[in-house]
Amino acid sequence: MATPVMAGGFQAFGHVPAHSHYHESPLAFGPPHLPFRPSELASARYQHPPAGHFHYNQTTSMADAPFLTPEEEFAQLQKLSNEYEPEVTGPLVGDRQSSSAIATEYANADPIYRVKTQALPSKYAFFRTCRGDGHCGWRAIAFGYFEALLHVGDVAKFDVEEARLISMNNLLNLAGFSEDVYIDFAEEAYDLLRKLGGSLQVGNGASLLLEAFNDMGVSMAIITYVKLLASAWIQSRAEEYQNYLQIDVKSYCSQNIEAAVCEIDDIAVAALSEALVKPAGIGLEILYLDRSVGDEVNAHAISQPMNFNGLLPMIRLLYRPGHYDILYRAEDLPAPQQQATIHVALAYNNNHNFEEASPDANLLSMIPGMYSHNRFQTVDQSFGHRWPPATYDFDPTPAPQPHITPIQPYAPPPPAPVAPVSVAHQDFMSPVHASPISHQSPASHHSLQLEQQPMQLPFHPHPPPPLSIDRAPITVERGGPFRPSMYELEPGFGTGEVTPFQTNIFRNSHFNTCHFMNPSFQPEEWSPHEYRTGNKGRHKSASQ
Amino acid sequence: MSAGAKKRIMKEYGECMAETPAGMKINFDEQNMTKWEVLMDGPDGSVYAGGHFKLEIIFPNEYPFKPPVVSFRTKIYHPNVSNDDKGSMCLGLLRPDEWKPPNKVVAVLRLIQSLMVEPNIDDAIEPSIANEYKENRKEFEKNAKDWVKRYAK
Repeated sequence: MATPVMAGGFQAFGHVPAHSHYHESPLAFGPPHLPFRPSELASARYQHPPAGHFHYNQTTSMADAPFLTPEEEFAQLQKLSNEYEPEVTGPLVGDRQSSSAIATEYANADPIYRVKTQALPSKYAFFRTCRGDGHCGWRAIAFGYFEALLHVGDVAKFDVEEARLISMNNLLNLAGFSEDVYIDFAEEAYDLLRKLGGSLQVGNGASLLLEAFNDMGVSMAIITYVKLLASAWIQSRAEEYQNYLQIDVKSYCSQNIEAAVCEIDDIAVAALSEALVKPAGIGLEILYLDRSVGDEVNAHAISQPMNFNGLLPMIRLLYRPGHYDILYRAEDLPAPQQQATIHVALAYNNNHNFEEASPDANLLSMIPGMYSHNRFQTVDQSFGHRWPPATYDFDPTPAPQPHITPIQPYAPPPPAPVAPVSVAHQDFMSPVHASPISHQSPASHHSLQLEQQPMQLPFHPHPPPPLSIDRAPITVERGGPFRPSMYELEPGFGTGEVTPFQTNIFRNSHFNTCHFMNPSFQPEEWSPHEYRTGNKGRHKSASQ
Repeated sequence: MSAGAKKRIMKEYGECMAETPAGMKINFDEQNMTKWEVLMDGPDGSVYAGGHFKLEIIFPNEYPFKPPVVSFRTKIYHPNVSNDDKGSMCLGLLRPDEWKPPNKVVAVLRLIQSLMVEPNIDDAIEPSIANEYKENRKEFEKNAKDWVKRYAK
């Protein structure tokens, strides 16, 4: 039994007739359900990511217990599978990141997912993960509620909301919850409202909010509080909700809402929307990413936002079967924070490296007015003086990354590649060699008039900083004198999608998302051809 | 343990002190408030009447978002209490999936009292004792009383 395994030959093994029953098995094994520990899979044996041919794993376990009949073995595996709880890791609520990361995650998945996730970034530029510990739906809505209030940015609104929540204690009392118990949970919500209201002056609301929701005690209290609100809401409208329920309202609330660990379901989403989200004037929309027909995620509006001086606060949830994350449209977010001066200084300080960067120097020589070093310096200083410091923000993550990307040196860029990242970008997406006129076009996002254009290539003599995900939003939103690179507009920019460092060691490690131990594990589509042609196309990003 | 959990445990302890359910005594160590020791009398009219049972309630760090863990430190012949040196109980609202954060320890103690009067056979941890309770009540009562005499005096 162990021989084919030791040979490491999945092909030989795949043809052993005695194992054909694995393929016919009615049991729903999936790679995520097989709780083998790495120790059981010596790396020498474990040559391929598990997706698509996990009979491989089963063989390993059979080698350990050779006397089991197939039925017993199934029973045993099914038992293991049932008992398996995926290791829940990651922040309770993650940082906001470019949603092209989702497309990257699904790059090798089922075609339906692939199409839908690739369409995602053009409409919903950002997303935020919620830990899948059984509370993610509750957590996502609660977080979205506070975040939407922050986006509205009105101190009075926080006071109004606190007063409204306090007035809902009547509802909780009516539903039979005792005040001395729920008040502990409620207080955390009031506190957070007060803190966020106070943060508007300082502008650190987003980090306060993230901090609060990543504190287990605080976030669980708030989650429990919104659960009680949903439960009380349903119980106060029992006749209405009874129509949707198979069981009586009281036991539904007790089992599906109040229980310490229970996923939010459609009815609870609707109730929570009515109780918490809608009265605050916030919209709620759920985008379903599943295998249904279509080339986009299916949007389902639960509540419509009110208009706050042109602002429509929205909570958008991305639903993948069994899990909720938070999605954003670019326009949902408040205008990017302005950061200034740094970039001027950096460009200035960097120019002494100018001649060392030989690949870049070639690029430079292609630009009129950029030929000589002296010239460069002069231009640079003049920029430093003339540039209004508050008009653009700097992002130290440079656009092209010649050190790590396998991209050919500069080719004349194709005319405005379709940019799925965000509409706002295309404003300042202009071809490299465009005449200076185009930079003065009124459509330009940053109303700066350039008389000289040479300063537009972002030189980076230092090794590029790690492509961190939380950088991505800034990269996308930046303005300023630097012409954005075409590569930056490709989906997956800034998420490490193009990492060429794909070694066998990496691929077989749990840092690979194809590996079942990876917290963001995604089954990979198995295509036999790829095994014959080496590991082309099997790259997955590890940087999430 | 978070401040919220401590606050909650203190609050519950205060309530238990102000209004201790009949037939119980709670020992509380200020230094280690996550472990309560409860002395519970066998309820009158039950087979355990006359016995004094020592229970231990341990509050997890995530309390009240996870249920307290209850165990009998005194041996008891009961279908819902494991017949080993742990004396553990896991049923009803003590189950992690049925526990609700607003539940209080008092409710747990009341549940235990009512289980001593009327065991929950469908949710038994000791199937043989449950079976005996169902099929041969006399034998069960004899054994239970015997254990009370032996361990719970």
